[in-house]
Order: sequence, then C-alpha cells, then structure tokens
Amino acid sequence: MRLEPPVPADVLAAIRAPFAALAAPFTDAPVMLPLGLMLDLAGETMRGRLFLVQGDGEDACLRPDFTIPIARVHIDRGAGDGRYLYEGKAFRVAPRGSGRAEEFLQIGLEAYGGGRGPEADAEVAGLAWRAAAAGGRDDLSMILGDISLFSAFIDAIGLAPALAARLKRAFVRPGALAGELTRAQAAEPPVRQGDRLAELLAGLPEAEATAVLQDLWSIAGIQPVGGRSAAEIAHRLVQRGEAARAPRLDPAQARLIRDFIDLSGPPRAVLDRIAELASSGRLELDAELAAWTARLDAIVANGAPEGRLVFQANFGRAFSYYDGFLFEVRSAALDDEAPVAGGGRYDLLPAHLGGAARGAVGCAVRPCRAWADAGTPS
Amino acid sequence: MTDAPLTFGLFSKGRLKEQAEEWLGDCGLDLEAGGGERGYLAEIKALPDVRVLLLSAGDIAAGLDTGELHLGVSGEDLLRERGEAVEAHVMLLRALGFGRADLVVATPASWIDVETMADLEEVAAAFVARTGRRMRVATKYLVQTRAFFASHGVVDYRIVESSGATEGAPAAGQAELIVDITTTGATLKANGLKVLKDGLILRSQAQLCASLIARWTPKQLASARRLMSIVEARARARRTALVSWPAEQDKAALAATEAFLARGATRRAQGLLAEADSLFEVTAALAQASVGPVSVVRPDFAFEPRSAAGDRLAARLGERR
Repeated sequence: MRLEPPVPADVLAAIRAPFAALAAPFTDAPVMLPLGLMLDLAGETMRGRLFLVQGDGEDACLRPDFTIPIARVHIDRGAGDGRYLYEGKAFRVAPRGSGRAEEFLQIGLEAYGGGRGPEADAEVAGLAWRAAAAGGRDDLSMILGDISLFSAFIDAIGLAPALAARLKRAFVRPGALAGELTRAQAAEPPVRQGDRLAELLAGLPEAEATAVLQDLWSIAGIQPVGGRSAAEIAHRLVQRGEAARAPRLDPAQARLIRDFIDLSGPPRAVLDRIAELASSGRLELDAELAAWTARLDAIVANGAPEGRLVFQANFGRAFSYYDGFLFEVRSAALDDEAPVAGGGRYDLLPAHLGGAARGAVGCAVRPCRAWADAGTPS
Repeated sequence: MTDAPLTFGLFSKGRLKEQAEEWLGDCGLDLEAGGGERGYLAEIKALPDVRVLLLSAGDIAAGLDTGELHLGVSGEDLLRERGEAVEAHVMLLRALGFGRADLVVATPASWIDVETMADLEEVAAAFVARTGRRMRVATKYLVQTRAFFASHGVVDYRIVESSGATEGAPAAGQAELIVDITTTGATLKANGLKVLKDGLILRSQAQLCASLIARWTPKQLASARRLMSIVEARARARRTALVSWPAEQDKAALAATEAFLARGATRRAQGLLAEADSLFEVTAALAQASVGPVSVVRPDFAFEPRSAAGDRLAARLGERR
C-alpha cells in the first residue's frame, strides 16, 4: 500500500485545531467493516476501491472513510443525537497509474441530530475550510452543490413520477443525465410485453391485481423465486403502464433542466440565475433558495471567504451517501479528483443502518493534501 | 534460455479437453501424453519445440495473462474475467468454434415487469429505496458483471460471489438475480429464471490465444507461427476445394475463372483453389468455356506462405519492444 509522507507535527496541529476547538470527543472506530454492509450502503461500484480482508467468518474490508464506522458507533450507543470527531487512517485502492496514496490520514466531524437547517451545513463547511486552509495552501476553492435542490427543481416542474425519479437517479451518476434527458424526450416508447397486462391490472384493487398475477404465473408454469413479491411486481407493472402513457419531457422542460445543470460560478450569481429559471418556468423554489441564501451567509460567517466559493449546480457524487447539501475543498495545484476536504448531508444513512436521527452532516480533511509544503502529494 | 520450448496451455479435463484434442487431431497435431510428472505434460509429435501443459481452464487464462504461457486455448469468458488490462496482455488469435457459451443476466421468470436492463435499473433503485439494501447478483464473473451493469447505468446492486451452482442462488434466497454462462438456457429455465432481452454480456467460445506478456525468443515465435500456419491451413482446406484442368487448356481456364480471384479463390498450377460455396459456379464457368475434363478434390491442408495471425502476433510483439 502506498503511504503518504508524514505531515510535520506543527502543521498537523494547525489543521487539527479547528476540530479540537469543538466540544466533541475524538472517537475511535473499527478499522475493519463487514464487506456486505459496505456494499449494501455504497454499491458494487465501491468494491474496486476497497481493500478486502479475509477473516474466518464474514468477508471484511478496511474502512474507506469514517462515515460508516462512526455511524455504527453512534447507532450502537442508541443515542439520537451525537457529535463525533475522528483522526485516523482510511484505506482506498488507488486508480491504476494514479500514484495516489492508498493509506491516508483523515480528520473529521460527524454530527447527528443537529437538525436539517442550513446552519448545521454551514458549520461543517466552515470547519472543513478553516482546517484545510490551516495547511498553508493559498490556492483553495470550495465547490458547493445540492442534490436535494435538483430534486426540488425537478419536483417543481411537475413531471410524471417515474420520469422524475429517473432524472433524479441520473443526476448523481457522472455523465448519465444528458442521455436520460434525450431518452425522456424521445417519441413514444415501444409497446412491451407486459403493457396490456399492466392496463388490465391498473383497473384492479392491488390485492386482486396480485391474485391475477399469481394465477398467471401458475398458468405459465413459472415458479416464483426469491426477492420480489407478487404485490410488488403487480404494483410496478401498473406504474410502468402509467409511465408509458404519461407525457414525454417537452423541449421547454428539457431546456430548463439543461440550463439548470449548466450553472456554475459565484454562488449568489448562480442562485439569482436559478431564481430566474424558476420564474421563467413558473416553478415554486422560494423556500429552497431562501435556505441557500441563509446557508451561504452562514458558510461565510464560519470562515470560508465568499470569493473562494463556487456553486456548481450539477455537483453530485456517485460513490457517496450524500443526499442533500455537499461540498469539496480543492487546491488548484491538485487534481480535481483529489480534494483536500469534503463533506455534506447524509440524512438517510442512519436509517439504513437501523438508527434514527434528526439529520446527519459530516466532513473530512486530508491533512497531507492540505499541507502546502508537501510538494504535490497525491 | 534461447532453446527453451514454446509453452502451450491446454485443458486438462472434461468436455473441453476432448474438444481441444479433437481440434488438434483434425489438424494432424495429435496430442501424446508426455509422461511428465503426474501427467500434466504432453507432446505434439509434429511440433517438437512445443511443450504442452495440461491445466485447468482458469489456470490457462491466468497463465496467458501473466505470461507463464506463450500460447493457450481458453474460453473468452474466463479471459475477460482477468480484468480490463487483459486486452493488452493477451491476444486472441483464432476462434475455435467449440466451448460456446453465452454470459447473460438472468432474473426470476416471475418478474414479468422486468424485460430489459433499463427495467432492472428501475427495480434495483426501488429495491434499495424500500429496503435500504441493494439487490444481490450472484455470479462468478465479477469483472464483466461490474462493467456491463455500469454500461447500462445499473448501480444499485451488489455482487454475491458464487462458487457452485449459481443458477440456484435466487431460489435459495442468496441473491435476487444472477449473471452466469448458459448454452441452451435449459438450466436457467429449470431454475425459474429468464434472460433479459438486452442481457447478453458476451458470446464466448474457446479461443487460441497468445500472451503478449510472456518472453518470446525468435525460436518460440517461429514455433508459434508454425503451429498457426498448420491450424490456418487446415481451416482453409475445410472451406476450399482444388479445381484442376488439363495443362493445355490453361489459358482458356484462367480467363473463365478470372472473376473468382476477387472472391477469394487463388491460383494453383493448372487449377484453382476455390471457396467451397462457389465451387459449382467455378465448374459451370469452366464448362461454359469448354474447358475439360475438370476434376475437384478437397485438400487436407491449404498452406499460404504467411500466416495472418502469425503476422499480427509478430506485429504486436514488435510494438512491445
């Protein structure tokens, strides 16, 4: 495993200082995680980045970051609220030929139950900025994005539910949205095998639709195996039928979405532009935009200079748990794929792990990347 | 070192072994047990500079990928499973027409709402939203599954590595769907599964392959060329026929058959090596020109001075230096 050069103690202390000033304990978390849990939460695409560990029982992997290990610690404690600091090594397989360190130091905060307001977002963003900047780099910028703002934008357009859901899923997959927009504008989809059946089932109460489907299986000699129930399949057939009849994405709507995702620049200018798009499309986004103005004010008040902030409307990441506000601190001297710090909101993750919390936000800093005199560490 | 033999990996057991031996035997390259320790070595009498290693299918793919073998017969499915870099490590020289199997995505047949990968993408997303867990795909083919699912935008799934009968995994509750090889689809059907319409990942068959990672001496390359030219000559012979005519009518016969040269026929002394499927057109054209008597024989081998696959291999190895 490729290591990072050690960060000098004084530099590390400076980077740690903004975290240490918080009233939260530094918390230890297991280095190893059950592989199955990790893949359930992050998906198969994550597997290639994980170091696998063969134990005598279930397969395990080394922690690729602290979000899940700390979330498990939090849930094990059974507390609804909690704030946890951490400092330790995380492990990721570097892309072939990238030369990046595979074993690296992270310092961070995970905060559960601080509510879902913009202040909680701004706290972690400001914290990450101050810690990153303490490493001495003067070429940092902070990229801001919001997965839930895109969702709200799509919802405000009022598309058919299946189409809206597809666009939202495509948003967090690099390069997928353009194709999805084209597909959504295409002419009528071809009539498919299940469509007539779907029309039939759509007119029935769900219980009856399920019974019809079960009859159909037995007539066709199909032995249902595993995974999905008859009710679930009947439900989706009905949904699919509705989606096929729903209107396509019209050119004005597609234009609106393309204009939205193309936006990037100084945050207030981008927010103004989003407000213009919303009013031109008669979309109701006032609450979201007001929250963003408050979030921006708070981020700046927390120490991130406004001139270094960039709002990028299409910023979403595939391999993460974030589901709302998110950010990255980048250095001009480093690859965009090698952020100095990053974080955001992941409200849904605790529930998937079996816990409950009123909101969850977190951030992590890579001290070795923040360290200005490291040359160009990777 | 310069006298080291060319290493050639072949299947050590099962139906694939029989088929590979049949193919070699048909080419006049009979395999003889080399006696070597525990029978893992064999010889081809006609090719004394070739050392045959009898290995498992997985070991052949690995040996080609890492350069421990020069040549090998391997299923394309196993080779692709070595990772994307395999393209740069192993060269496919010739599809052999046996060991055919399709690598496919199969879901329970009861999922009548899922016909395509796009359906699967939606269902997988709904599954994770509902349960917080990802749909499980049982397979031995991790690399190809990952690449294929990514190319169709399916991300909400996870792989469960299967070691035994993959097709039983959904019924056993170990996975929701599978990626596996199938020949007739009968096993899938018997297990209540169906193949998605656009769920074909790879049409695989046995391939004669060369390692681009192995160290090749000029002598080993010459041995490989010799093997390939024999294999190609046999394949060419099977699809061609040798048409011959009386020497004194050579001029008229050549004029009458000129058009066939553009269609793959080649000249022979007082005759023509024609593609078998145009054979009777050739004989008709000769009759038209009053050339005769004409006789036709099917050759055992039809050699060309150069082996196309041999040239491609030499070129790739040349780039490497």
